[in-house]
Amino acid sequence: MAVNLTELSLPQLEGLKTQLDQETEFLTSSIGQLKVVQTKYVEAKDSISVLNKDNAGKELLVPLTSSMYVPGTLNDVEHVLVDVGTGYYVEKNVEDTKEFFKRKIDFLTKQIEKIQPALQEKHAMKQAVIEVMNMKIQQLHTQQTPQSGTTKA
Amino acid sequence: MAEAIQKKLQSELEKYQQLQKDVSKSMSARQKLEAQLTENNIVKEELNLLDSENTVFKLIGPVLVKQDLDEAKATVSKRLEYINGEIQRYETLLKDLERKSDQHREVLTSLQQEYQRAQGRAAGKV
Repeated sequence: MAVNLTELSLPQLEGLKTQLDQETEFLTSSIGQLKVVQTKYVEAKDSISVLNKDNAGKELLVPLTSSMYVPGTLNDVEHVLVDVGTGYYVEKNVEDTKEFFKRKIDFLTKQIEKIQPALQEKHAMKQAVIEVMNMKIQQLHTQQTPQSGTTKA
Repeated sequence: MAEAIQKKLQSELEKYQQLQKDVSKSMSARQKLEAQLTENNIVKEELNLLDSENTVFKLIGPVLVKQDLDEAKATVSKRLEYINGEIQRYETLLKDLERKSDQHREVLTSLQQEYQRAQGRAAGKV
């Protein structure tokens, strides 16, 4: 920013601070959301490891609701249906699915890494604004009470 | 004199506020389109990675319906086209609205000054 912070008035600084507050909040929540999604993909990738040859034909309980399960056998350990977005589901084999999740996790990591520096920058700017504000307030104080200011000095 | 200006100011202000509402509405619509664009782009990339061995299903209501891979690709491409068109449309709409609200702001400030002057004159008379 080319603008010198010390040249701004207190209300202007206040406005700038609120704006920066909003921006940092937005970026923080964006990172939070990305992390939530990323965890979901990591969990999905982990749980897919159950689908291996050793477990083929084994019995398992399928949840019909969160409190009711029916017995079943694990028939197909090679294919899964993956939601790729906008209502499209694709049948993939396990290896491809692992690749798919890895791609998604990497993508999200990249997005988070893109946001992080922006957030830090906004944070630093906010700190600078707060510092200048404090300075200005102190100046105002000493101006308003010059007597006590001089005696103290 | 002052009252007439005040009335005019009021109505202009209301118009301006309506305009601002329109701006924020268009803004959020544009943002939604942007999100859809991103999602569809991701889907397109995914579909491009598939070959004829993969079966594609489309979720229609609660059921999954088998769909041709090429058909799915065509649908997504068409959707992307549509979304891009819509974004363009909103872009011009927003520009137009911004120009209008700039004009309104100018009218408002001049009216405000006029009002203050009229008030000052009225106060001077009393």
